[in-house]
Amino acid sequence: MTFNSLQFLVFFMVVTLWFFRMKQQKGRILLLLLASCYFYMSFIPEYILILGGTVIVDYFAGFLIERNEGSARKGWLVVSLIANIGVLAVFKYYNFFIDNIHSGALLFGKSVTLPMLKIALPIGLSFHTFQAMSYTIEVYRKNQKAEKNFLVYALYVMFYPQLVAGPIERPQNVLPQLHEFRAYNWDNVKEGLARMLWGFFKKAVIADRLAMIVERAYGHAHETSSLALFIAAMFYSFQIYCDFSGYSDIAIGAAKMMNIRLVENFNQPYLAHTISNFWSRWHTSLSSWFRDYLYIPLGGNRKGAFRHKLNVLIVFLVSGLWHGANWTFIVWGLLHGVLVVLLTWERRQEGEKRAGLNLAFRIALNFVLVTFLWIFFRSENLAAATGYIKDIFAFRGGSYYLGVSRAELAFSVFIIGVLLAREKYLPTHYIKENTLFYCYTLIMVMACYYLGVFSENQFIYFQF
Amino acid sequence: MLKKIARDFLILFGLFVLWASTSRTAMTYLSDKRNLVAWWGSYQCLNGDLVSMSYLDAVKMFNQPNPRTGFKTPLYNGVRNTDLYLDGDSFTWHLKDSNFAGLSSFHYFERIHGCRYHLDTTKRNVLLIEISERYLQSYFSGLQMFDEVLDTSRKERRISYLNIAEQSHIRYASFVPSFDVHDFFNKYINQNLQFNLFNYEFMMPIFEYKAALNYYVFNRASGDVVISNDRKFLFFKETVSKTDVGSSYYPVTQEERARIVEMLNKVYDHYKAAGFSEVYVSIIPNSATIMQPDGYNDLIPSVQKDPRLRMKVIDIYTPFKSSTEVYYLSGDTHWNFKGKQLWLDVVNERLQNDQATNPTAN
Repeated sequence: MTFNSLQFLVFFMVVTLWFFRMKQQKGRILLLLLASCYFYMSFIPEYILILGGTVIVDYFAGFLIERNEGSARKGWLVVSLIANIGVLAVFKYYNFFIDNIHSGALLFGKSVTLPMLKIALPIGLSFHTFQAMSYTIEVYRKNQKAEKNFLVYALYVMFYPQLVAGPIERPQNVLPQLHEFRAYNWDNVKEGLARMLWGFFKKAVIADRLAMIVERAYGHAHETSSLALFIAAMFYSFQIYCDFSGYSDIAIGAAKMMNIRLVENFNQPYLAHTISNFWSRWHTSLSSWFRDYLYIPLGGNRKGAFRHKLNVLIVFLVSGLWHGANWTFIVWGLLHGVLVVLLTWERRQEGEKRAGLNLAFRIALNFVLVTFLWIFFRSENLAAATGYIKDIFAFRGGSYYLGVSRAELAFSVFIIGVLLAREKYLPTHYIKENTLFYCYTLIMVMACYYLGVFSENQFIYFQF
Repeated sequence: MLKKIARDFLILFGLFVLWASTSRTAMTYLSDKRNLVAWWGSYQCLNGDLVSMSYLDAVKMFNQPNPRTGFKTPLYNGVRNTDLYLDGDSFTWHLKDSNFAGLSSFHYFERIHGCRYHLDTTKRNVLLIEISERYLQSYFSGLQMFDEVLDTSRKERRISYLNIAEQSHIRYASFVPSFDVHDFFNKYINQNLQFNLFNYEFMMPIFEYKAALNYYVFNRASGDVVISNDRKFLFFKETVSKTDVGSSYYPVTQEERARIVEMLNKVYDHYKAAGFSEVYVSIIPNSATIMQPDGYNDLIPSVQKDPRLRMKVIDIYTPFKSSTEVYYLSGDTHWNFKGKQLWLDVVNERLQNDQATNPTAN
């Protein structure tokens, strides 16, 4: 069940109305948990067992971590981490690993045949696994008490708005909210709904429209002119942003309607003036996860310049791998890391005052850099990615056709302008006046329907 | 109070719609009932399935009514000794025995349902498998085996195709008689919800405005429909997308072609062993194959000319290709009256010739 489906709209209406019908928090928790199970099972029903298994392991691990000290405490954390990373390793990385062993053996003239698994990747596995791990780590660090109520803990991991594509939550933020009974709040409903509509708009009107152009360019790279390929690459930057941040907007908005506040995930990332600044604005729930649970434990910047750079590279390498079991993601992550490390002059200027043309130039330059790195992310393999970049730098003529009419191309540029202006100058979603809110809702529903591109496109980040 | 009633009504309504869109029984009941009562009847577009899918009815650029009757009755004065079994799809709907020459009887069945038949061994039993090009790859390359049940008491054979990798037909879930968890999470629920919530004649203007907007402003059709390069035809997206195996432009590999031929041979051997005098296949080209041939993957001619193929071919690709006539409807996946008539002519000629050279029964 994707957010941009009729099934979700009906499901969401039923669950939200029923949620407010409940007079006790216990009933609400049970309702949300059952709804989350249904939501998750609508992808591949059997995989609820895997999710359920890790929920049970982490729930008991949390208890045992809290009750023990010393090596036993650490031991139970390790059990929890192994369970979570083990699931990731089997479902997400096993085939990639075996495939690389096969290729590596062939390089040395040997043939090795190891069994491959014929299994589909559970939707959003990396998201809920990381969220589950943050719980046991926080309990281990004594920042969070172990959750006694199993249903509440299960809901923390499985809360359907952010179950399959984040934001990746921390227990300190969500668990207290799940315990508290909060009455129906019209302001929250308005703000949540307005934000959901903006998310739908970003997905249906912008991301899926740009997807038509991007698909055409990547499918016909060799016959398309360099300029058209570059334009399509820039469009992909906005496609993935609108796709992913649109999902986050819907998730945060849906939770807000039920009085649950989720963390923000994006902050106008294409207005970043450096790569490191980009990462403080893009998928921030993941960036902060890696900062708190990988970068800082590795030593952060406390162990000298060389170790600091190495730590940065490790974090970005793992971040690339987190996105998918493919060399394209690894190279994408690594290149981001290399740029962060190499462009130290950028960071030296972080604190300096920048304004006017200089800042605009740096933002534009950074956007172009990020766009080129997205080519690795979008391509099916490294050869395709490097081929696409070579085709851009061939500065050749050829077809300027990008799969849509000129009117649609112009509209795409216009709608990107609307996106940037809306998020820069009107970042809030709360509309105080009811009449204004109703008008906004009506306009957004009409815009989503009449300007939206409705296809079978799933959200890009579901695959992670 | 009113708010509470509205809230409870919406909850019940939502639950009902979700259940109804998952249940086969409910979907069958609702679609039957709705077509009996005009005001909540479902959208009935008479101008072609692609016009219907893209809601381009109001644009009128692709509207082209197509009569279903009026095919000529072929002249035949010989002995009527052929029982024709036509294993067809929507291209051969509404045909009857008078459309064929020299038949003693005509039996039509659609492949996905399996069938029961009883061969009259005093007649010449002919099986004609008509399949549209877009299903050729998915159907024959995914066909693993046949299950044949011989009911000796009734002297009937029951054939059902098993393990078909991909069936494109919509399947509704069923709670009765058996419950399957996958049925509950029916992957067609969104189509069913669309049908239950929005597919009403009175709601059509909303969809038609959107379709017209896309057509006139962005120069494209909505949904799974694509406008041809010359702007005269609508194509089903899966017949023109390079990534879809049913597409005329999908890059078919040698192995895939060989697999199709191998499976056609298996089907041929199976039915010959089952008692048929002859088994033919007739592959109906996608409209894009004929009307927009640049970049065609050459699937039909390469399969038909494959020297390993034992099944006899009734070739409609060549007559369509060599003619200057238009044989497809502009707003439909199917052929027009002329296309169907030409196919009937080719089939009749072939059946008569083969009967003349091999008049004996089984």
